[in-house]
Amino acid sequence: MTEATAPERSALPLTPGLTAALLTLLVGALCLLLQPYAPWLIAYPAGWTLPATEWVGGGLETILNTIKPTVRWFSWAISFPMSWANWVLAGAPWALVIGTITAIGWHLGGWRMALLGLVGFGFVLLSGYWRESMNTLSLVVVSVPLAMLLGGAIGLLANEVPRLRNPLQVALDAMQTVPTFAYLTPLLLLFGFGPVVGLVASAIYAAPPMARNVMLGLERVEPEVKEAGIMSGATRLQQLMLVEIPAAGRQIMVGVNQCLMAALSMVIIAAVIGGFDDIGWEVLLTMRKAQFGQALLAGLVIVTFAIVIDRMSARLALERERFDPRVSWALFGVGVATAAVLALTGTATPPDGIFAGAADAVDQTLGTFTAANGTALDAIKNGAMFYGLLPLRIGLDEAVLPFTWGFQWTQSMSLWLFAAGALAAMAATLTGRAMTGVHVLIGVGILETGVANLPWPFVLVAAAALAWSSVGPRFAVVTVLLLGTILVSGLWERALLSLYLSGSAVAACALVGGALGLLAAVSKPAWAILRPLCDMLQTIPLFVFLIPVLMFFQIGEFSAFLAICAYAIVPMIRYTREGLVTTPPEMLEAATASGATRAQIMWDVRLPYAAPTVLLGLNQTILYAFAMLVIAALIGTTGLGQSIYLALGQADVGLGVSAGAAMAILAFIADRLVQGFAEDRRRVLGLS
Amino acid sequence: MQDGPALAVEDLWQVFGADAASVFKSVHAERASASATAEALKAKGLIPAVRGVSFDVAPGELFVVMGLSGSGKSTLIRSISRLVEPTSGRILLEGEDILAANTRRMTELRRSTIGMVFQHFGLFPHMTVIDNVAFPLKVGGMSRAERHAKARPILEMVGLTGRDDAYPRELSGGQRQRVGIARSLAGDCSVWFLDEPFSALDPLIRRQLQDEFLDIRKRLNTTIVFITHDIAEALKLADRIAIMRDGEIVQIGTPAEIVLKPVDDYVRDFARDVARGRHAKVGSVMRADTGGIGPDDPGLTPEMTLEDALASCMTLYEPVPVRDASGTLLGVVHPGDLAAALQADSA
Amino acid sequence: MKRTLATTTAILLACSAHAADLGATDEPIKLAINEWTGQHVTTHVAGEMLKAAGYQVEYVTAGMMNQFQAIADGDISATLEIWSSNVSDEYAKKIEEGSIVEIGDLGLDAKEGLAYPAHVAELCPGLPAWEALKDCAGVFATAETLPMGRLVDYPADWGTPGAERMAGFGLPFKAVPAGSEGALIAEMRASTEKKSPLFLVFWQPHWAMSAYDVQFVDVPVGNDDCFNDASWGPNPSATMDCGFSPTRIFKAAWSGMEDKWPAAHEILSNYQLAVEDAQPMMGAIDVDGGSVEDVVAAWMSENEGKWKPVVEAATQ
Repeated sequence: MTEATAPERSALPLTPGLTAALLTLLVGALCLLLQPYAPWLIAYPAGWTLPATEWVGGGLETILNTIKPTVRWFSWAISFPMSWANWVLAGAPWALVIGTITAIGWHLGGWRMALLGLVGFGFVLLSGYWRESMNTLSLVVVSVPLAMLLGGAIGLLANEVPRLRNPLQVALDAMQTVPTFAYLTPLLLLFGFGPVVGLVASAIYAAPPMARNVMLGLERVEPEVKEAGIMSGATRLQQLMLVEIPAAGRQIMVGVNQCLMAALSMVIIAAVIGGFDDIGWEVLLTMRKAQFGQALLAGLVIVTFAIVIDRMSARLALERERFDPRVSWALFGVGVATAAVLALTGTATPPDGIFAGAADAVDQTLGTFTAANGTALDAIKNGAMFYGLLPLRIGLDEAVLPFTWGFQWTQSMSLWLFAAGALAAMAATLTGRAMTGVHVLIGVGILETGVANLPWPFVLVAAAALAWSSVGPRFAVVTVLLLGTILVSGLWERALLSLYLSGSAVAACALVGGALGLLAAVSKPAWAILRPLCDMLQTIPLFVFLIPVLMFFQIGEFSAFLAICAYAIVPMIRYTREGLVTTPPEMLEAATASGATRAQIMWDVRLPYAAPTVLLGLNQTILYAFAMLVIAALIGTTGLGQSIYLALGQADVGLGVSAGAAMAILAFIADRLVQGFAEDRRRVLGLS
Repeated sequence: MQDGPALAVEDLWQVFGADAASVFKSVHAERASASATAEALKAKGLIPAVRGVSFDVAPGELFVVMGLSGSGKSTLIRSISRLVEPTSGRILLEGEDILAANTRRMTELRRSTIGMVFQHFGLFPHMTVIDNVAFPLKVGGMSRAERHAKARPILEMVGLTGRDDAYPRELSGGQRQRVGIARSLAGDCSVWFLDEPFSALDPLIRRQLQDEFLDIRKRLNTTIVFITHDIAEALKLADRIAIMRDGEIVQIGTPAEIVLKPVDDYVRDFARDVARGRHAKVGSVMRADTGGIGPDDPGLTPEMTLEDALASCMTLYEPVPVRDASGTLLGVVHPGDLAAALQADSA
Repeated sequence: MKRTLATTTAILLACSAHAADLGATDEPIKLAINEWTGQHVTTHVAGEMLKAAGYQVEYVTAGMMNQFQAIADGDISATLEIWSSNVSDEYAKKIEEGSIVEIGDLGLDAKEGLAYPAHVAELCPGLPAWEALKDCAGVFATAETLPMGRLVDYPADWGTPGAERMAGFGLPFKAVPAGSEGALIAEMRASTEKKSPLFLVFWQPHWAMSAYDVQFVDVPVGNDDCFNDASWGPNPSATMDCGFSPTRIFKAAWSGMEDKWPAAHEILSNYQLAVEDAQPMMGAIDVDGGSVEDVVAAWMSENEGKWKPVVEAATQ
């Protein structure tokens, strides 16, 4: 391998990117060659680790115990609005609640929104989960203002004190990437048992979108509008309150909308702790019994909430028509009257669910389907494992066995593989694509070794090289330092496993999602089918889908892989389509006028133009995949996700927070890398 | 108002970049000329956007700053209004050094003394027309009824009666800028800054608004600093014009001076496409000696434009007298000089 | 599912019973509701008994693993079904602190072990004898475990008893942690539907035992000798070549409970429930679709003799 690189050096101008790639290749090759003599190159020796998780645990517990009394006071204070909201929502007759929602719907968006509210909440009523749903709703009603306050404060602070902007950005990243499960235990210790933990957890998770939109909104207020505020003689406070915040109103409303959705998606997490008898708890119970139909029903209640809240709050961000308030009052009146009639006739209790039969049928169908297609499902799974996941994880040299591929991998096959790789690399170099050549060689090396067996010096150098070429030298240093933390804290092996699982899921999502996005961009009917699917995948509690995946493919990596893909593929589809359909029409006209075919336009004009957007989609896909790792641990995976669960079960603050931080580090690095490349592309296209 | 200029700007510098103030200080102390300082600053990676600008504006004067995009004129007006903090220099507003004013004093000045109009109007999208106009009064603490009562006549003056409750998005560009003008006047300002107020408008609307602006100006008699990139606009409106290039003022003069006596090629280039006859007055080419007057007297006055003057002496070849309104002889003009001034590119 | 209940004595009366003060009857006693049906039954029976004694009772949903902080803080008064095989370190910590106190066994006779759905016996003849597994490992092999067989172990946070047993017996099986109880159940459902092989670690009482006709593998009964002495048992060179140590199911309460509600504390301490009573109720709920409240109420009225004495001993 080293020989192969020699001619490239002399033949080609060394760009920084190429240098970095060559260095990576060199380190990888050295590690492979020296592996027999220095096994510590592959497996980081346990003796070199520090008991970091214990330190974190010990340190945190001291801190937590110190601030506990103050925080408990907060718990006590917040319990009042909680119980009021609960008293109002759970105590109010259902007819009144539905009437109110319908009236609000009318006020926001006319008959469409009114109908949405009526049908949506009607479905919730008929599902038989009315009480649980209202408990959930009261959780959201209190946590969203909390998240908005927190997010708004962070956003304003970042806007007013530019020096704090960067640290706050990192904090927001951490709030979104550290899995909630990782900090449930410390929260429990701090805030005490009960819904307030779920409340705080969802506020932490839901605040960042609010903060980001506040920042973005204030930034995007036209400079002259800001200047006009100043020149009118407004004080800074007046400028903010009277000019900038109202002028940024629409962007801030987008933040409110995202904040609501995020808070709702946390409902299920809050349920893990319990204490509130909400709809999330119901999902968990049915999930424990592997009752897909019932879990789906409970999940659909959450989806319904999500859709109603999303569509209604999205209206806030639009320029609104004004709808006759008298209709709102009338609808509200109908609610009151119905509630009164029901109360007088003694039938005010919410009805039992009417979908139990349907849920059973769905459940039965799942069973029948599994029974009928067992062999086919097994074949799919085995194919994917043997020829895809296993080689990627442990490398061809270990994955190719008589049981799997029908023959045994030998040393000479490795040599042939490397030789083929070297030839391909030479060919690429001679045709002027040295970068491609080096990448091919690195790829071959990884395939032969397997992600889980990668030598740690190679991973560090490779990550640093990527960081260097996509962002810059400073980020390369940061990357090495952060990865080094994982290394010495003894979480390296688990981190590599997580990397492998999420990495292969991301790769699959990029391919399949990209293709689906492309399809959706060129075909309207395809998008009409894909769009509601994407909506549902993003809002339904993912626990629900674990059941069929498990039934089809059993416990194991393939199921986890599928579960992660199901969630993470959505942004890839959305962004690819978005990038492709937003190509400026004059560019398309110019291409058509130049005589390009449709395929040529797609390949030469639309795809390059869409590249930055697609890269952003990839970035989201990566973050989603990491987020899903923890949930996939419920299927039974190894890696950081499992550690986080273990820590949650054992109330091990140190392990939970460390594993969560390790996960956040991986996500953070991946995020910045892809953003760096996206920024590069945007610069090339002159978009930034 | 006391004697002296309403606005005096002395050696104003606006330098952008990291640590601009201290670098400027050290660089400026060592160098004599503005251009040498600017070169040294650029060598250090800083951007000197305004370079040692000085000028005075007399009370009631309409002072136009003209320059191409990137010449620093917008930065200049923002430095003077302290929307950006100048790196160095002095700005005296009615005798008061406003760079020494604290935030509270600045706020006060903006409420009471300075008004500003923006190129893209800078209207508050979430407020109605009347609320936009009354905004300076609102932040000054005036009650709603009072400030609306005060805003209404101003709206009437700019020709926007009856649109009180419209939102900016419902207005045309010309109407929006009328709102912008009305807002800047709400605080009874005595110094008025206009940053390319008509550049974003269609030519027809622009001319209409220019005329209305001159009307308003006549009524209010404020001191005005007017920024534009349009030489025709500058010549039409200005009492005096300052031409800016690369952050420096290259010439200050009356429209006629700019047109007829450009200091260098840069200024001459501006003037080239201008129909000079419409801007230069007979006074600027008149000779004071009264010798050799020909027999004809077409009735020229010093305030006559060259174009009109030439039209009245089309057939004459001998010097003609120039008299003031009372008929007193002031000087002579040779018709050949008139024609030469109109074509004067050679000079 | 409902069978005659007369054969068993559900409640063993403790001899030490004596009348105690009721205490704060105006404040509700909060009982933890965890994630599984059996626990709901256990808790509701106890709750109804407390109500019969004149208390207010509130049922609070709480994650099994996350409830102990709440109990230590007094936010939850008691939890009534803790499995010794599945209890977090935090519980031990709180017991040590003295903020939680154990209040006796529940009396549920639990069993854990290597198990399989009944149809698997056809795929691996010789079951339930554990030796049969030596030769059918290939039947249980999957992509992740090839060439070894696959054993679905408990979720990792419950420990790895299955893996230890495989090592102990020297069976060619790789233990795969399940991730969650739902995953275990889904495996059983799929295996039953597809008639595919499945070998897992499971426990009773659990509604799935009968729903999927789950059988335990016969292994030597677990004991301390086996756990500590390699020479004991069929495999002379390893420990753990035997069944699980018997699982204890017990109750725990907030340390302040005895002072606040003395009689309730006594009732809960003496409260016991037998498998024979619990399992039919679980079946009536999970298989027949009854509600916990109805099923428990029916049992309470039919079996007054099994619980009334405990309440009366504490209050009169």
